[in-house]
Amino acid sequence: MKKLAVFTVFLCIFTMFLAPVMAQAGAPVAKAEKTAAPKAAAKADTQEPIRLGAIWDYAGPCYMLSESAVQGIKIAVDEINAKGGIMGRKIDLIVRDTEMKVDVGARETKDLILREKVNFLIGPCSSGVALAVQVVHAESKVLRITCMANTEGQVVDKFTPYVAQVVPNTYMEAIAATRFMNKKYPAAKKFCTLAPDYEFGRREEAAFAEEIKRLVPDSEILYQAWPKPGEKDFTSFITAIMAQKPDAVHSSLFGGDLVAFTKQAAPYGFFEKIPFIALYDLPVFIALGADAPDGVMAFGRGCFFMDPNPKMMEFVGKYRKVRGAYPDSWAVQAYDSVYLIKAAVEKAKSSDTEKVIAAMEGITLDSLRGKFTIRPLDHMGSVPCYQGVIAKDPNYTFKVWKDVVRVPGDQVWRSEEGVREVWKKTGITR
Amino acid sequence: MSFDVLFNQFLSGIARGALLFLVASGLSLTFGVLRVLNFAHGSLYMLGAFLSYSIWKWLLIPVYGFYVATLLSALVIAGIGLLIEYTILRRLYARGWPEQLLATYALILIITDIVKWFWGGEFLSIPRPEPFTKAVFLFGFPFPSYNFFIIILGLVLVFFLWWLVYKTRLGDIIRAAAHDRDMVSALGIPIPWLFTSIFVLGAFIAGLSGAVTAPYGAIALGMDIEIIVECFAVVVIGGMGSLPGTLLGSFIVGQVYSFGIMYKPELALAFIFMVMAIVLVIRPWGIFGRPER
Repeated sequence: MKKLAVFTVFLCIFTMFLAPVMAQAGAPVAKAEKTAAPKAAAKADTQEPIRLGAIWDYAGPCYMLSESAVQGIKIAVDEINAKGGIMGRKIDLIVRDTEMKVDVGARETKDLILREKVNFLIGPCSSGVALAVQVVHAESKVLRITCMANTEGQVVDKFTPYVAQVVPNTYMEAIAATRFMNKKYPAAKKFCTLAPDYEFGRREEAAFAEEIKRLVPDSEILYQAWPKPGEKDFTSFITAIMAQKPDAVHSSLFGGDLVAFTKQAAPYGFFEKIPFIALYDLPVFIALGADAPDGVMAFGRGCFFMDPNPKMMEFVGKYRKVRGAYPDSWAVQAYDSVYLIKAAVEKAKSSDTEKVIAAMEGITLDSLRGKFTIRPLDHMGSVPCYQGVIAKDPNYTFKVWKDVVRVPGDQVWRSEEGVREVWKKTGITR
Repeated sequence: MSFDVLFNQFLSGIARGALLFLVASGLSLTFGVLRVLNFAHGSLYMLGAFLSYSIWKWLLIPVYGFYVATLLSALVIAGIGLLIEYTILRRLYARGWPEQLLATYALILIITDIVKWFWGGEFLSIPRPEPFTKAVFLFGFPFPSYNFFIIILGLVLVFFLWWLVYKTRLGDIIRAAAHDRDMVSALGIPIPWLFTSIFVLGAFIAGLSGAVTAPYGAIALGMDIEIIVECFAVVVIGGMGSLPGTLLGSFIVGQVYSFGIMYKPELALAFIFMVMAIVLVIRPWGIFGRPER
């Protein structure tokens, strides 16, 4: 039996290492599909196309998000091609899968650059993969727009000019959410946090801790819970948090984890007793249905119920025609990324990377989420952060937000001095 | 810490333990009799959860649809278990560990892809069924009644397995076969048939536990690996193939995790594996396990 026991232990360890690998095994093999050139764009064919590489994580929790994003990219590309392309040049889209693994991400990026000779990249989903991909394309001097992976590491700690970010980064998102919570519950002084235990969650909660100390100097954080990503049972976390009797809880849970947490916390009367904020967005509402708790605070990155402007609603119509479902914020940001590239190429009057980067610095884009500007210093877009309160809406079968607040990115991003301070530590000069 | 807080944390641990027991009991049963470590047990559990969602949606029975869906999906998973045993595992009993591991590992990959192909990457959720939507109050502290449902189901399963293994003629055969399968075969009992039925029962338990966790949390890709790692910890601590061992193992893992979260949340997961390491040093065959003959 000893042999068996040793073998089992080996298995356990083996499984733990393989877990992330297996959750993603068999993701669709590199989807190298090219968008067919619509007939209307016949004249665009005479010039060399602009090649756009979409690098996404078709695996695990990123699978659905990546699907949405690529759909958003395709809609934008088809639209642009139908109108004659960018400066008469058609866009060729090449989609690649990272399987949500850093090594595959790096390999596929290299392949996109060397073999497919892409001019620009958009993606990926996972912050971990993004940092790995960044090393590769920065070395090859290819520009990437990051519209989902939002770790601040991409534009601050590990800045490279070959990245532009059009999704609020972890710092901005947490600062905005913290201010919103503070405005709603100004008397709250004792807090707990609840966040997935990896790059994203750690950074969000660090920014929360920083901001809440600024807003409420005598505040204290009583307890911080770090469930592993993919946790199924939050019961023990819930009772541990409730035992602390906090005035409010800041959380950066999202997706399936947030669905599980919400369902398990509701019977405890958690949401009636403790003010709570987390990343409640469209997919979570669709999964939760009537179980989504009314009146609970939420933050998000911009979809139709957060910003129902005419441009956004037009996009919703197009997306529904193609997919038969509502677009989430992932599709919105990916769509905006394509238009950012278009605007920068047209301003530069060239697809040369260095010229496009120079043109992109300081450019203002009229996006689905309103106007935003790319800050020249760190290439961070002044993209808005949204907060609201969960509520029913007779127009939809799922719950949405009410009392929505739209915070422009330049009100919450790290100041230029702040960015330079971090750079001093990480050795970046610019 | 006041009593009610500790008691509540204890109950949370019990609920988690019950959930683990549901899954681990099937794993342990299969191992105890067949001597096959079914790596794909967690995948059958995941498949059960996804299947119960689709059946529940398709049935459209407002109040009790969930229970019907749970039963149906467990039966379908049992059928899939039959297929797996008959076509794959049956051929591997006589072979070594590595081949069994490879085969069941391959099943994990296949089932993951089937789930992805059929349901996509979205996470799904089933609302809690009546009458377990609200909380009950213990010492003035709320406790979700669905957790009680899981605990009760766990107890029913304990009782059923105990009755099956220790009180029926089939149980006598099962225990005898676990002890010496050649002797049992020599007595004229068809071993292949026995093994098939045990594997099917194990698969049924996996499907059932997957289906009952569906309203508990979210149904998502990756839940298979997530559960199987903890189940290994449970069976290693309690003793492979032992029913009381699995029960005790689930209890220990549930409590260690629950109080770990309360006092040292960063190390909660590590505590489980520390306990496992200690048990392995003192009793390599687990608390209730038997040393290999």
